[in-house]
Amino acid sequence: MMLRHNRAGLKACTTFVLLLSSTLVAQQAPILDPSVLMKVPTDAWPTYHGDYTGRRYSTLTQITSDNVKNLQLAWVYRLNTSQALANIGGEGPDTPPAAAFGFGPPTIKATPLMVNGVLYLSSPDHVWAVDARTGREIWHYFWKTRGGIHIGNRGVGLYGNWVFFLTPDNYFVSLDANTGKERWHHEIANVKREYFSTSAPIIIGKQVIIGVGGDSLDVPGYLESRDPESGLVIWRWYSTPRKGEKGAETWPNAEAMLNGGGMPWLPGTYDPELNLYYIGTGNPQPVLSGKSREGDNLWTCSIVALHPDTGKLEWFYQVSPHDTHDWDAAQTPVIFDGVIDGKPRKLLAQANRNGHFFVLDRTNGQHVLTSLHTETLNWAKGLNANGQPIPNPAKEAAIPGVLVSPDTNGATNWPPPSFNPDTGLFYVSTVQSYSMFYLTDTDDRPQGWAAAERGLGSTARTLKAIDYKTGKVRWSRPLAMTSTGPAGGPMGLLSTAGKLLFGNDGGGNFVAYDPATGKPLWHAGLGTNTSNGPETYLLDGRQYVVVGAGDTLYAFTLPR
Amino acid sequence: MGRMGRMKTLLWVVALGVSLSAQEGQFDQAAVDRGKELLVGQCGFCHGSNARGGSSGPDLTRSELVQSDEGGRELGAFLRNGRPDKGMPAFELTAPQAKDLAEFLHSSIYTNANRRLYKVLDILVGDAKAGEAYFNGAGKCSGCHSASGDLARVGRKYEPVALQQKFLAPRTGRGEGPPKPAYMDKNAIRVTVTLANRQVVRGALVRLTDFDVTIYDAETSRVRSFVRNGDVPKVDLSDPLQAHVDLWSKWTDSDIHNMTAYLVSLK
Repeated sequence: MMLRHNRAGLKACTTFVLLLSSTLVAQQAPILDPSVLMKVPTDAWPTYHGDYTGRRYSTLTQITSDNVKNLQLAWVYRLNTSQALANIGGEGPDTPPAAAFGFGPPTIKATPLMVNGVLYLSSPDHVWAVDARTGREIWHYFWKTRGGIHIGNRGVGLYGNWVFFLTPDNYFVSLDANTGKERWHHEIANVKREYFSTSAPIIIGKQVIIGVGGDSLDVPGYLESRDPESGLVIWRWYSTPRKGEKGAETWPNAEAMLNGGGMPWLPGTYDPELNLYYIGTGNPQPVLSGKSREGDNLWTCSIVALHPDTGKLEWFYQVSPHDTHDWDAAQTPVIFDGVIDGKPRKLLAQANRNGHFFVLDRTNGQHVLTSLHTETLNWAKGLNANGQPIPNPAKEAAIPGVLVSPDTNGATNWPPPSFNPDTGLFYVSTVQSYSMFYLTDTDDRPQGWAAAERGLGSTARTLKAIDYKTGKVRWSRPLAMTSTGPAGGPMGLLSTAGKLLFGNDGGGNFVAYDPATGKPLWHAGLGTNTSNGPETYLLDGRQYVVVGAGDTLYAFTLPR
Repeated sequence: MGRMGRMKTLLWVVALGVSLSAQEGQFDQAAVDRGKELLVGQCGFCHGSNARGGSSGPDLTRSELVQSDEGGRELGAFLRNGRPDKGMPAFELTAPQAKDLAEFLHSSIYTNANRRLYKVLDILVGDAKAGEAYFNGAGKCSGCHSASGDLARVGRKYEPVALQQKFLAPRTGRGEGPPKPAYMDKNAIRVTVTLANRQVVRGALVRLTDFDVTIYDAETSRVRSFVRNGDVPKVDLSDPLQAHVDLWSKWTDSDIHNMTAYLVSLK
């Protein structure tokens, strides 16, 4: 996709000039020139997806399908969680509350940002700056938590000299990128309401876009824009309407929508020409019972386009009307330009947790196509005229149990997919799973999850390539097997102009696949499945591929 | 809840790093009971007898003020004034009373928020006769199992939820004794590796990838691995529980409920 400088781009450049002139007085140029964000960079990875599109496609061609067999380890960095030399901040007690435990050692779910030879990455309560040439730590910041579910953190945002990240106890924190010292922090949501924050901040112009998460209690979801200098709110967009607003007709009453969830818990994508920010919203609350929220429950489980300057909704497309299975629509809404029926189109595609693949026109949200990316689904009665799945009420949780495929983790999940413009294929990994759903809260006003789930297992875990023009799976590759059945599952992916697709095999190997056929061309036996989105960039003229697996970050490059 | 159910809950809770007893212990049950009595007597008319909202008052368990309260302090202070403009009168509770009321509300919120603690209700709605017909017919269960053999009196051994999970997902849950690798389980997927020299090696599957296959030989207690190059060596898998897995895409919910009723009836 061409990314031209437009109104927003000019604004970003103006901002940059202003920022530059103000900071020049104190020090040298900022670490990240914000105008970098308007291009598709090759010598930096300056934002969660590498660029704004969410394609996770790199134009770099130093590493190719021909020479990838020579790819070798450059360095390894294992997350250091010691507080001994860390910059320490946070509002929590010295001994973390029980809620902060339970997810084992920190796992790299963040896509590190790489700017000027430094990688910036995070896990819950931690941020690190790591030398991209040597893999050695430059600084470490540790946040003393008040609690919140510590399930993961997707990464940091960079603007000028500042690093931004979110904490599980819902603070928006800014650090000095040079030193890792804290500038300020602001509370964005109440941890006592079971909010927890995992998203990576996205910078658009002079705004930092952040979203909250949480689904244990029935609380409203929202996305915020904050000022990178003051950290204060510019706008807040609630993912459910308020009384009298458009969309309220899809809820039975104000109480239901005010407590209706819809957490935008992953970073979105951005089209600078249309000046629209695209994000997928979370599931409605209560999660597994729809009794107290009859209707479609807008704008939960939807792909929405917002004006980044105001937070106003431009269009929406709901991929799971009236969801009762925890299948949020937070998965990356990938944007690219393509050709449909011979006509050039500005498109947006999402492989959704509910088992369907959607393609939309991103200028107006018009439906282009819907297909199945996972075959075992048994919860929908088909598609309506607008391509939306029609939920079968018989597959909503019931006291004696109903068998549903997929389970609440969905047919895919948060790990970033990849779209490759050279092959026209959208890459995603999927799971064919089954669970029993038992209604446990029979009150007329159920709360929280309101039902229990017991997993049966999965019949397949697969890496797939989907043709965006037809929605059909072009190739499909089963992942590893273990003594209990299929292994692995949703994985972060990266494709490159070097005719490579990087991912894992579900069996602890990091793999370079042929994006046209799915044939493995190279692998590294890391012993643990990769746990974030792989990235690539040029540094000192050499192309690196960097990926996290568990608590360890690996960098690969070709021999000199 | 049956033993497997309890075990599963316990595992979940341990996995969450939260001790069940410690968390349950954070609520004083006597105070919760006193608080519930207070709620029903003084607040229930408007807010409902379970605090989830009533004729004229909102849901208290969803209230940010309640959720943010610490030990009844904020709640007590609020109640002293009420919200007269919204028709909420003042209530003069003693500090211990406010604390009891808060204890009840916080324990309700905790129960709502922690789905691992949700209790499955009465799932016995099926027709045992229809379950028996499925067992001997479409389900093909009688090919491996017998009501008078391995399943004799199975309805006495397990509670309905545990029994239902046993036939739907016999692989989940853990067996007796200390934890062991899944490949040592009797139901581990079996693998046959045929080497280039036609030698055949059999065992339980540890892991199969595009690049290697690892097996466990129970007789020698030995783990062995073989590097794969395309289709060499040849690898064949067989799952002792394949019949159960194959049913996942075939069960109707009625079949499941009927089968549960039938197995429960085997007393």
